[in-house]
Amino acid sequence: MSAQSTTPEELNRGLDPVTFEVLKNSFVTVVDEMAEQILRTCHSFVIFARDFSCALCDAEGNTIMQGSQDIAVHVGTLHLKAKAILEDFEGDIHEGDVFAINDPYRGGTHFSDVSIVRPVFADGELIALAQANGHWADMGGSTPGSFDISATDHFGEGVRIPPVRIVDRGVVRADVINLVARNTRAPGDIVGDCHAQIEATRIAEQEIFRLIDKYGTDTVVTAFAAVQDYVERLTRARIAELPDGVWETEDHIDVDPGSEEGLVAVRVKMTISGDEIVYDLSASDPAIENFLNSGAGVAFSGAIASAKTFMPDIPLNSGFYRAIKVEIGPEGTVVNAGWPLAVTGCVSGAYEKIMNAGFELWSQLMPERAMACCFNLEYLLVGGRDQRADDRPFFMWYDWMAGGWGGRNGKDGQNATSPVFGVGLAVQPLEGQERLTPVVTSTHEIITDSGGPGRHRGGCGVRKGGELTQVEHAVMSYCCDRARSVTWGIAGGLPSVPHGVWLNAGTDRERFLGANFSNVPVGPGDRFERPSAGGGGFGDPLERDPAEVLEDVIDGYVSIERAERDYGVVVREIDAELSHYEVDEAATTAARERERAGRGARLEEDPEAVARRFRNGELDVLDLVRHYGVILDWGSGELLPRTTEQYRALLRRRSAAHWPEA
Amino acid sequence: MREGTTKVVAVDVGGTFTDVCVLDQSDGVLEVAKVSSTPDPIDGVLAGVAAAGIDLDEVALFCHGTTVATNALITRRLPNAAMVTSRGFRDVIEIRRGTRDDLWDAYKDNAPPYIRRRDRFEVTERVDCTGKVLEELDEDDARRVARTLARRGVETVAVCFINAYANPAHEQRMAEILAEELPDVSISTSSDVLPELFEHERFSTTVANAVLSPLVSGYVSELGRRLESGGYDGDLLILHSGGGVMTPEAVERLAVRLAASGIAAGAVACQYTAALCGYPNAIGLDMGGTSTDISLVYDGRLRVTNEWFVEHGYPICLPSIEVLTIGAGGGSLATIDAAGSLRSGPQSAGSVPGPASYGTGGEEPTTTDANLVLGRLGDRLVGGEMTLDPALAEQAIRSRIAEPLSLETTEAASAIVQVANANMADAVRLISLQRGYDPREFALVVFGGAGALHGAALAKELSIPTVVVPPRPGAWSALGCLMVDIRHDLSQMFLAPAHEADAEDVEAVFADLERQGRELLEAEGVPEDRIRLERSIAMRYLGQWRSMNVDVGAPVTDLAAAVEQFHREHEREFSYRRDEAPVELYRLELTAIGQTDDVRLPRQERADDPQMPSPVHTRDVWFDGFDEPQPTPVYERAALPAGVQFVGPAVVDQLDTTTLVPPGVLAEIDEHLNIRMHITEGS
Repeated sequence: MSAQSTTPEELNRGLDPVTFEVLKNSFVTVVDEMAEQILRTCHSFVIFARDFSCALCDAEGNTIMQGSQDIAVHVGTLHLKAKAILEDFEGDIHEGDVFAINDPYRGGTHFSDVSIVRPVFADGELIALAQANGHWADMGGSTPGSFDISATDHFGEGVRIPPVRIVDRGVVRADVINLVARNTRAPGDIVGDCHAQIEATRIAEQEIFRLIDKYGTDTVVTAFAAVQDYVERLTRARIAELPDGVWETEDHIDVDPGSEEGLVAVRVKMTISGDEIVYDLSASDPAIENFLNSGAGVAFSGAIASAKTFMPDIPLNSGFYRAIKVEIGPEGTVVNAGWPLAVTGCVSGAYEKIMNAGFELWSQLMPERAMACCFNLEYLLVGGRDQRADDRPFFMWYDWMAGGWGGRNGKDGQNATSPVFGVGLAVQPLEGQERLTPVVTSTHEIITDSGGPGRHRGGCGVRKGGELTQVEHAVMSYCCDRARSVTWGIAGGLPSVPHGVWLNAGTDRERFLGANFSNVPVGPGDRFERPSAGGGGFGDPLERDPAEVLEDVIDGYVSIERAERDYGVVVREIDAELSHYEVDEAATTAARERERAGRGARLEEDPEAVARRFRNGELDVLDLVRHYGVILDWGSGELLPRTTEQYRALLRRRSAAHWPEA
Repeated sequence: MREGTTKVVAVDVGGTFTDVCVLDQSDGVLEVAKVSSTPDPIDGVLAGVAAAGIDLDEVALFCHGTTVATNALITRRLPNAAMVTSRGFRDVIEIRRGTRDDLWDAYKDNAPPYIRRRDRFEVTERVDCTGKVLEELDEDDARRVARTLARRGVETVAVCFINAYANPAHEQRMAEILAEELPDVSISTSSDVLPELFEHERFSTTVANAVLSPLVSGYVSELGRRLESGGYDGDLLILHSGGGVMTPEAVERLAVRLAASGIAAGAVACQYTAALCGYPNAIGLDMGGTSTDISLVYDGRLRVTNEWFVEHGYPICLPSIEVLTIGAGGGSLATIDAAGSLRSGPQSAGSVPGPASYGTGGEEPTTTDANLVLGRLGDRLVGGEMTLDPALAEQAIRSRIAEPLSLETTEAASAIVQVANANMADAVRLISLQRGYDPREFALVVFGGAGALHGAALAKELSIPTVVVPPRPGAWSALGCLMVDIRHDLSQMFLAPAHEADAEDVEAVFADLERQGRELLEAEGVPEDRIRLERSIAMRYLGQWRSMNVDVGAPVTDLAAAVEQFHREHEREFSYRRDEAPVELYRLELTAIGQTDDVRLPRQERADDPQMPSPVHTRDVWFDGFDEPQPTPVYERAALPAGVQFVGPAVVDQLDTTTLVPPGVLAEIDEHLNIRMHITEGS
């Protein structure tokens, strides 16, 4: 496609280039203004941490523009929610109305993400929908924060809001808002956030009116379509530069609790022909018996967001979705669970796997932007009664961490960065948490050796934990994954570290709770901690420059022990107090030769024998996941034979196959 | 101010140029010198003073805005620094809040922290959120760390303990131990720099203060010494990010306040100009070659933010004037993107290769080239020292923009300027409309090299009725350093629901803050009658995450009025209020002001019958909405006396800028020699 072959007027539906550019930028300003308003007035700390998104949609519900700072997982879901409202209220939408929806079975993400949608009218005709979507702190259900891993269907998860009218021709339906708010644990905050979002959409409406006053309705409505054409053209031009072909891979959820041990596959096939891409997710495994399944909207979003990561400069709207199509397949799979199966944990489950599988495929297509697997989104939740105050109010210690991103072509991965789920999602200040909850944080630090080894190391993950003080009737829940499907490397790089929560580590009450659990009773004095994984490594770690390994040792990103084990680099301490260390060149050469000769065979060793060596303290977790490809139940030390077999195959494909012959 | 002399000097050190303004207070005559900035910025300052043709011993007051601190942070040319923190938390400043500036580009990384991990040390200690000690400071541990730092030759240390805002005792004890083991080292504690909740924001501000401290204090005292040896014996005042000036002694304690010194000057100049012209509300547009700084004055005051950073992820949470910088300037490149759309900026031709018309190798068209092709800009710049080549500009626009878009060259040039204007207008909307301010109630103050060319068109786009072009737009921001008072911003956390808070407790905290503020000003020699103390309370609806400041008078006897004021402000800014929702006090803030002498700017009484001079010449200029170029008179600015009025089209040329007056716009010269343009619907 060439911009030169047609006149700009033809390209932009008759708009002159200036009007087009001005309106395009104005639409960006409209959604960013909505975002700024929400950020400054919200009540939910989750929204304040930037778990929200805004969009302007056209009269058919297609997205004209999405916010430039929006959370990734909402990408590609806002137009679906808009369409659901248009469908249910066809012929019954009026000036001054406002609607709400959170329905994950109608294109939404999960119950916590509530969209407020305002139809915008010009001369009595519906021309647009302004949408503000935010993560509310609690939506009811059996668990504080509405994350119940044990829920197998929607009834245990929270309040489902199908398209519903909350403002009727300018009159706020307080009864309807209350119906929702009173089914949650934080009704005051819910009402506050609802108002903040209603006002944000009103600001968007005012801005559209201003544009109409200046340019006229026809021009503005034409620009709604022209801006989508524009993004479609940009996207198609970019795709046309890529080779045609079919690329396939799979990434995995740890386990289906309703089935025997073994990884659950999310399969992503990508076909490029000409200037179009089709993602096909339909070959993914059947839906599982916990809430890591996703609905169709989130699956669509995962595919789109992985593509967007490799075309970061293209603005997002429905034009993007016309050039990149996604086949989700029929209901009943882990990526399209269907009502009433549980889906609230989709953001840690299927969504993450689609995103990262996409990264693996795109890394082959655009090696200059290649990136290994990034750490998996994780949420830890402690809820109960706070005895510090006389009325013993409900408290929620609802926490998520930054973690490591994958190693890249020519660059190490980024340390301690927000999850791919939403890079704008800010971690919370622990000093704020300590005021609001009876939990004292014991540590918030980068974990030595957590980055997946590689020629370019994965970014380091983070450890956070704490001690419960004056709590009562408290329970702990965790929504994560990748205790077994460990964050992987590519092009010869190695995995990082498994996820999972430890309770009272190092005491006789020590328990490994795993990477997904809910409602574990906890009490005063209990201590907990968990890691966020590092990113996977990129390239063969034995080819990493020893000088870079030395710097990593000085900064404590890598330990002296693992510098030798993972990188074959022997570092000697000269004066730790002055950060003086040096590389022993001769010992390094010898260690690397030894490692090259021996490493392939370790993936063939009898897994049960390896598990025994782990249990008697000869090998540690990092040895198992990086060098032996053996996966255990990390609490009991029991071998998971089927998972190990699958994991070894993946390690051979992504890592060992790229190592030079010994 | 020194007695007997009348000259005040303002120096603004920027990345490329050092501007020196000398204002003679006796007659209001303003001299401006521009010299290249030098590797040691002080050389440039003194060269500029020499170029302005003054002796230091005739200078009464020397004010200074500098980018030294900003540049040091960006380039990481920082002293050997270390951090000491609570056990378990040495990575707080590296984990940040986790976010990345560019959400989608996985190859665009955050900048590294100002202090590397190897230089961050932990000691055993812990207090809780009420200030109660959970674990005593382990003094052996503390001394061990201090001795290690001494062995390492550390020059500056940041001490950052969890919850130190609630109880500073451990930090203070750590600082004492450090002082014993490292006698000549500068020490910043988080409870002193920013005694506020939220560890990353407090630590980050403290770390920035620590790394800047030796550098900036050294710079300021060296400048003081060299000025003194040159014969100057008056005060040296440095502009800080909050839009006040501070003395070298204050800089020593709080170096981080200079982090935005260079950016604040222009905003202050806008505020001053607006006040002089009688406009309570103004938007400042400082448009240079590569970027434009936009600031906002409401009811005579600049908007100030506590959420400011030089690099994403490393907040500096002391009050800073809110300035929005966008990549739009005279040198912004016009391009056509892959989907055939015309774009302007943010890439810039810079000074190398420069706009196509400079003839210095630039081949891509810029906003300057478009203005030249349209006749809005003349072909001579800087008083004729530099010539522009319209043929090169035309060639660039024709081949890169006009032909691909099937437009005439002048149509393309006009489109480039319109797109650039639209981008600036969007930026102005972001800081005005979005915050609940209506641009129609504002004046637009335009300065910088390129502001006056675009001011009228922008005002029209934004429905702003008046544009003000100050007399020396190119040097105006430097003058900002002279136009401010000494300011200290002090604060104290005060978390309590308003209906439960005791007004007496609030008053007690304010009284203590006032005592501190007074002490600081008195130590700086500010006399009692020049001291002004301003109080405000940061409040929010209970459950909200961001707070909003409400001014309060003294003494505080009743909080109900402040709460009502909060509801009103919230409604103005966010268009709704929740009378039924409880309001929470968050923080008490005090600004202690030491008023400096007013500057006297150039002034000319309006003649009874001012005469319009003859134009220097007439040239054809393309204006928006006209199919033909309009014959347009070109005036020399210095020849326009106070009181004259004229109707566009007109072009006003001067050494450092060109002012464009579109057809139908009424322009007048006021007694301060500003050009004021009145934009009406039809113009």
